[in-house]
Parts: sequence; C-alpha cells; structure tokens
Amino acid sequence: MTEAEFVRAYEIVGADFTNAGRASTSIKETLKNMGLASALIRRVAIAAYEAEMNTVMYARRATMTLHVTPADVTIDVQDEGPGIPDIQLAMQEGYSTATAAMREMGFGAGMGLPNIRRNADQFAITSEVNRGTALVMTVHVG
Amino acid sequence: MSEARLADTGVPAGSSGAAALTLAGVCAAIGAEALWCPAPDVAAAGVVAADLMSDVLVDARPGFVLVTGLVNVQVIRTAAIADLAAVVFARGKAVPPDVLDLARQMSVPVFACPDSLFETAGRLYAAIGGGRAQPGAGRPA
Repeated sequence: MTEAEFVRAYEIVGADFTNAGRASTSIKETLKNMGLASALIRRVAIAAYEAEMNTVMYARRATMTLHVTPADVTIDVQDEGPGIPDIQLAMQEGYSTATAAMREMGFGAGMGLPNIRRNADQFAITSEVNRGTALVMTVHVG
Repeated sequence: MSEARLADTGVPAGSSGAAALTLAGVCAAIGAEALWCPAPDVAAAGVVAADLMSDVLVDARPGFVLVTGLVNVQVIRTAAIADLAAVVFARGKAVPPDVLDLARQMSVPVFACPDSLFETAGRLYAAIGGGRAQPGAGRPA
C-alpha cells in the first residue's frame, strides 16, 4: 500500500438484515470525507449497497474492501456462499431467485447486479457453485 | 419538528410551467404529517414511488422524494445512499421507533401520509407539474 492508496475492509454477515447497509454507508462517509465528487460517491455507494444486500440475502459472509487511489475507487467483494450457477442469467434485469422474505425487505427485484454494472466503469464477476462469488467494480475519478 | 403539519405549499407560480416544490410543499400537497423534517425549505427535485428499494436505486435521482408503502430501516438506508431529499410513508402505516431513529441519525426527513401509494403519488405528480420522474431517469448514460 502506497501513501496514495487508501484501503479499508468490511466484514458482512449473511442474513443480518438489521445491519445490512452499514458498510456501504461507512464507505459513502469515507469518500465524502476525502472530498470526492458527490456524483461519483453516489455511484460507488449504490453499487456497494447493492453488493452488500446481495451478500446479506444470499451468502454466509463476505469481505467487502474499499480501495481508493487518485485515479480510481474500487469495491472488491469476496463472499462465501452458494455461488451463482449462471452468471449471464443473473445479470439479466428482472431475473431473481429472491424469496418472499427478501422481497418484504424491499430487495430481490432482479436489479442488483445489473445496477452494479450500470454504476461502474469496470465490472467483473466470477462465481463457483457451493464456494462463493467474487465481484470487483471500479469507478474512475475525474 | 414532530407531529406538525406544514402549511406552506412551497409551490411558486413559476413561468416555466414546471412547479418547484419544497419539502413543506410536498407535505401540504398530500396532507402528510412531518415525523422529522428539520429543513422544510429543502427542494424536492422530483418524486419516485416504489416498494422495491432495488427499483429506487435504479430510478431515483439525487434530491427526489421517495413515496413508499414499505416501512423498514432499509428504506432509510436506501434514501441516504441514493441522496434522496425525503421519504413519505404512505398507506397510514405506523412508523416504528427504530426507523425514525435511523432517519434522524442519517438525516433523512420523514413524512407519514394516510392515503394509498396511488393517491399520494398522484397528488405529488400533479403538484410537481408532472414529467419529472420518468422511470430510469436516474440511470447513468
């Protein structure tokens, strides 16, 4: 880690709906304190929040890491969980395997992954069934 | 401010045709109760009505007012993450203390309205001059 790079990791616990969104809120505050542009912060915060909700809904646990350099803001999410059997299908708007309980929380519309991609300049997702999912999204500064 | 009804409509007779609305104006237009609104003069850039927060995160622009029939802490977190101006809980649902506490903590103004989501959204659509809150409006190009 160089002086120009900021890194902070957050642990996210699956099915913990009470605290869901806290990590993303903290990321948003951190970026605000760094003085980044509000439009950029909003894109990162929305992408992080969608990823955090995905973890809480589907995975056992995850580590979400915020990396900030003068050029980029990157969110890296590595989860342990069921994985995604068909990523292409999961990336389609409206496709969802959410339960009624998840929808009662206001999530599970099948917009999470597409909305993360929409808010990111770079987006990569890999998944292994019964192991977990890794997601990296980057927003360019300036 | 608690349990106060804001009287000023906040709707100026603008020459552009599209009326600017403040949070006080939102409150008056739908006969809502302000559960927590420290700055009634804040502008509402538009309105989004939804029960799925995933849809709000796609459709809302910064400064929009969210009208919803869903009452839980994720509504407040969604509003804060998406830079929304306020949340209106429709359908006369009781707002639990934990939701109100989080709203104060995250500086999200909160209103309660006894009418249905359809009626509440309709009144706000009329008050704001319509056409400001198109689906997908918040999607980056």
